[in-house]
Amino acid sequence: MVPDLKSPEQCRKPDEAVAKGRPNEEASSIVLELRKVTCAYEAERPAISDISLCARKGEILCLLGPSGCGKTTTLRVIAGFEPVSGGEVYLEDQMVSAAGLLVPTEQRRVGMVFQEYALFPHLRVAENIAFGLRHLSADQRTTQVHAMLAMTGLIGFERRYPHELSGGQQQRVALARALAQKPVILLLDEPFSNLDPDMTGKMRQDLHDLLRRTNTTAILVTHDHDEAFAMADRIAVLNNGCLEQFDSPEAIYHMPSTPFVADFVGQADFIPGVVENGKVVTEIGEFPNQVGYQGGAKVVVMIRPDDIHVVPAENCTARILARQFRGSENLYTIGLPSGHVVHSSEVSTNVYPVGTRVALKVIATHTVLFEQDKIQHQVAISPPSTR
Amino acid sequence: MITAIRRTPPLPLAALAFTVAGLITLPLLYVSYLALSSDFSVWRRLWETRIPELLSNTASLAAGVAAGSLVLGVTLAWLIVRFDFFGRRVWEWALILPLAMPTYVLAYVYTHLLGSGGPVEQAWQALVGPEGRVLSAQSYAGATLVMTLDTFPFVYLLSRAALLNLNVSFEEVARACGVSRLSTLFRVTLPLMRPAIVAGLSLVILYVVSDFGAVSLLRYQTLTYAVYQQITGRYDQAAASVLSLLLVLFALIFLVTERWFRQRSRFYQTTGPYRAPERKPCGPLGTVLVTAYLALVFGCAFAIPALLLIQWSVASVAQGTLDARFVGFIWNSALLSGLAATFGVLVGTPLAYLANRWPSRLNVLCLQAAYAGYVLPGPVGALALLVLFSHLAPFWYGSVMILIIAYIVHFLPAGLQSMEPALQQVAPNLEEVGRSLGLGLFRTIQKVTLPLVRNGFIAAWVLMFLQSIKELPATLLLRPVGFDTLAVRVWLEASEEYYQLAAPSALLIVLLTLPALMLLVSKDWRAA
Repeated sequence: MVPDLKSPEQCRKPDEAVAKGRPNEEASSIVLELRKVTCAYEAERPAISDISLCARKGEILCLLGPSGCGKTTTLRVIAGFEPVSGGEVYLEDQMVSAAGLLVPTEQRRVGMVFQEYALFPHLRVAENIAFGLRHLSADQRTTQVHAMLAMTGLIGFERRYPHELSGGQQQRVALARALAQKPVILLLDEPFSNLDPDMTGKMRQDLHDLLRRTNTTAILVTHDHDEAFAMADRIAVLNNGCLEQFDSPEAIYHMPSTPFVADFVGQADFIPGVVENGKVVTEIGEFPNQVGYQGGAKVVVMIRPDDIHVVPAENCTARILARQFRGSENLYTIGLPSGHVVHSSEVSTNVYPVGTRVALKVIATHTVLFEQDKIQHQVAISPPSTR
Repeated sequence: MITAIRRTPPLPLAALAFTVAGLITLPLLYVSYLALSSDFSVWRRLWETRIPELLSNTASLAAGVAAGSLVLGVTLAWLIVRFDFFGRRVWEWALILPLAMPTYVLAYVYTHLLGSGGPVEQAWQALVGPEGRVLSAQSYAGATLVMTLDTFPFVYLLSRAALLNLNVSFEEVARACGVSRLSTLFRVTLPLMRPAIVAGLSLVILYVVSDFGAVSLLRYQTLTYAVYQQITGRYDQAAASVLSLLLVLFALIFLVTERWFRQRSRFYQTTGPYRAPERKPCGPLGTVLVTAYLALVFGCAFAIPALLLIQWSVASVAQGTLDARFVGFIWNSALLSGLAATFGVLVGTPLAYLANRWPSRLNVLCLQAAYAGYVLPGPVGALALLVLFSHLAPFWYGSVMILIIAYIVHFLPAGLQSMEPALQQVAPNLEEVGRSLGLGLFRTIQKVTLPLVRNGFIAAWVLMFLQSIKELPATLLLRPVGFDTLAVRVWLEASEEYYQLAAPSALLIVLLTLPALMLLVSKDWRAA
C-alpha cells in the first residue's frame, strides 16, 4: 500500500525498513522537521512547495531529483541561507524558519559541505578545520582538530594548503571542517560530483562508514539514484518543487508511488492493461489487482527489467529488438506486437541474437499499477513504432 | 599554451628580437654602470646631504598615498559591489574617471583651489573669520591629497574585480561554521581580497615613486624630482645617476611585489559553479549617505577639477589663446605620440611573437627585459638616453628621435600588455595551415596572424599613443629647443601660475585620455 506522504505524523512512526544496520527499532529523536515548507523567489513560481519530511538522529536522508527540482533549494532552506514563504522548519524541536522568521545560519549549528568544497585558500588544512572553533581554548582546539584529522585519514596534512590537495583530500577536509563543530545535522550538496568516477565508489563507502560511526544525522543532495540507494536510509524524491515520495530505497524502487519516481530511479516500462475479473489483463500476461481498481478500469502496469524473463520460442510474437552488454548482464529490448517495448535483464552468459522470437515470463512478486490518464502527463510512453 | 611544433625560431626574427631587447635594456644598464663607477666621494656627499631627506620624503609620500588609496579604494569597491542603490551603475563607471587626469593637471588645479585667496580659503574664512587658513597644496598633506585622489582608482578597480570574483560559498561556509557576519568579513572576505589589494597598492606606490609632474608643481622633494634638478640645474650626471639607481631599486621592489601577488591570486579562484554574492538594497537614509560619500570623492577627484578646467578654457579661448601657436603644440604632441606608438608596436611585435610561439628561457627573458621600462621613471629614462647619446651618438642629441626612443622605452610595457594576450589567442595551428598551403613565414604572419590580432594591436597602439601624449619629464628634458607639446605647455604655464592659459591644453589632454581609459577597462569590465 502506498503510504500517505503528506502527514507529518507518518514521519514519526518507526519504519521497519529503516532498521538497516541498527538493532533498536525504537523511535529516535527527531532532529529535523519540515512542515509544508514553501520557498518562492517570485510569488507565482515557488522553487519548492509544500515539502514535509523529517530526519531522525543518526539517519542519512537523500534528496533526489533531476536538475531544477528544488533539492538544493530545500537544503539551503534547512541551512538558513534562504527564507521560507510558507510552512515551518524545526531543528531539534526549535522553530528556525517560518514566514517572517529566519534564525541566521551561524546560530543553527548546521555543518555544510558544498559541491566545490569552498576550502579557504588562504588557510592551511588545520586552520580550515579549526575555523569554527574560536570559542574553544587553544588546547581544546588542537585536540579537536587532531581528532578530525584522524577520523578522515588526513594525519600529516595539517600544514598543506588547499591547492596542494587532490579532489578526494579536499572533500575530506571540507567534511572534517563541517564535523569539527559537532553539528546538529550535516548537509552535503552533491559531494561526489566533482570527483573522478572511479573514486566515487570508495568515497561513498568511506563517507557512509564515517557517518555511521559518528552517529551523524546527514542530508545528501544528489541527482544520481545509485548514490541515493547506496547511501540513504530514506530518500525524498523531488520533481518541480514537489515531494513525490519519501520512503526507504527499497520501497522507492519496488513500490514507486508515481510514474515519475518509477521512471527516475531505474529502467521502467509501462504496459497498458484493463482490469477484468479481479485481475489486470495485459498483452504479456495477467497481474493481480493489488490496488483494488474497479472492473473495466484502464490501468498501466510498471515493469522493471528484472521482473521479466525471456525464453526463445519460435511461435511467439514478441521479438528481440536490441541487446546491450553490461558486464554482468545483458539488457534486451523486446518489441511487442502492439508496438510497446519492454526491457529484460538476463545473465550475460546467455546471448540471444537480435531478431529472436521470445516468450515472456513475468516473475514480479508485486504489481505497481497507475491509472492510465496519470501516465500521459507524467511519463512519455514509448511510441508504438519500431526503434 | 599551445607551442609550435618547429623547435627553433627563424633566424631573422630571433635576431630582430634580441636586438630590440638589448637596445631597451641598454639605458638601464648604462645608468647603473655610470652610478656604480662614479667616484665614491659623489656617493658620500649625496648620502650625507640629500639622500636621507629624499628617501624619507619619498617613502612617507608613498606610505601616505598608499594608506589613503587603500581606504578609499576598498570602501568604494565594497559599496559598489555589495549594495544596491539609486545610480549605482553610473557611479561604478564614474569612479574610474580620475585616472584620466594626469597628476600635474590635478596638482595645478589644487594649487589654485587651496592657494591663498583661493575659493576653499574664502569659503573657510566665511565660516571662521578672516584669520582662517587651509592646508597649502605645496606641502606633504597637499601632495598626499593630490596623489591619493589620482591613484585610488587602481585599488578600486582591483578590489572590485576581486569582490566580483569572490564565490559566495566561502562566506556561506563560514556562516555554517558558526562565524558571525562581521567576523566573516575580517577572517574570510578581506583575506581573499588581499592579493588584489596588495597588487593595487604596489601599482599605486610605483606610480607615486616615479611621478614627476605633481611633485614638481607642488615643490615636494622626492627622488624623482631631485634627479630632474640634478640634470637641469647642476648638469651633474654622476649625482643624477646615483639617485636614479636608488630610484630604480625602489621601483623594482614594488614591481616584483605586484607581480608576485598577482600570481598568488591564481590560487584563490574556485572551481565548480560560481555564484555571485547578493547585493543588499539600501534604504533611503543609506542611499543618501552612500551617495554623499561617492559624490565627495568623485567631486574632489574629477568633477570639480574638470569643471574648473572647462571654465578656464572658455575664458582663455575668449581671450584668443587658440592661435596658430596652440595648433602647433597639438601637432607636436600628435606627431611625437603617433610616431612613438607606431614604432613601439613595430618594435614590440617580434618580442611578443617570439616569446609566445617559442617560449624558451631566452625568449621569455627578452620579453621581460622590455618591461624594464616600468622601472625607469621619466627623468631616469631621459637621463640614461641623454648620457648614452651624448657619449655614443652625439649627432642625434637634440633631435626628436631621442625623444621617441624615450617614449618607446617607457611605454612599451603598456603596449605589450595588450599585444601579448592578443597573440596568445591565435592558435599556432592556423599558422601551420597557412604554411602547409605554401605561404612562407612572413607571408603567413601577414595573411593569417595579423588580421586576427589586429584588435589587440590597435588597442596597444592607442594605449601607447595616449600615454605618450601625457608624458612630461622625458619631454621636458629631451625635447629640441622650441618643440613644445601640450603636456609641456601645461607644466610651464602652471609653474608660473598662469592657470587660465594652461587650461585648454590640460582639458585637451584629459579629453584625449578618456577613450584610452574606456578601452582599458572595457576588456575586463564585467568580470562576473
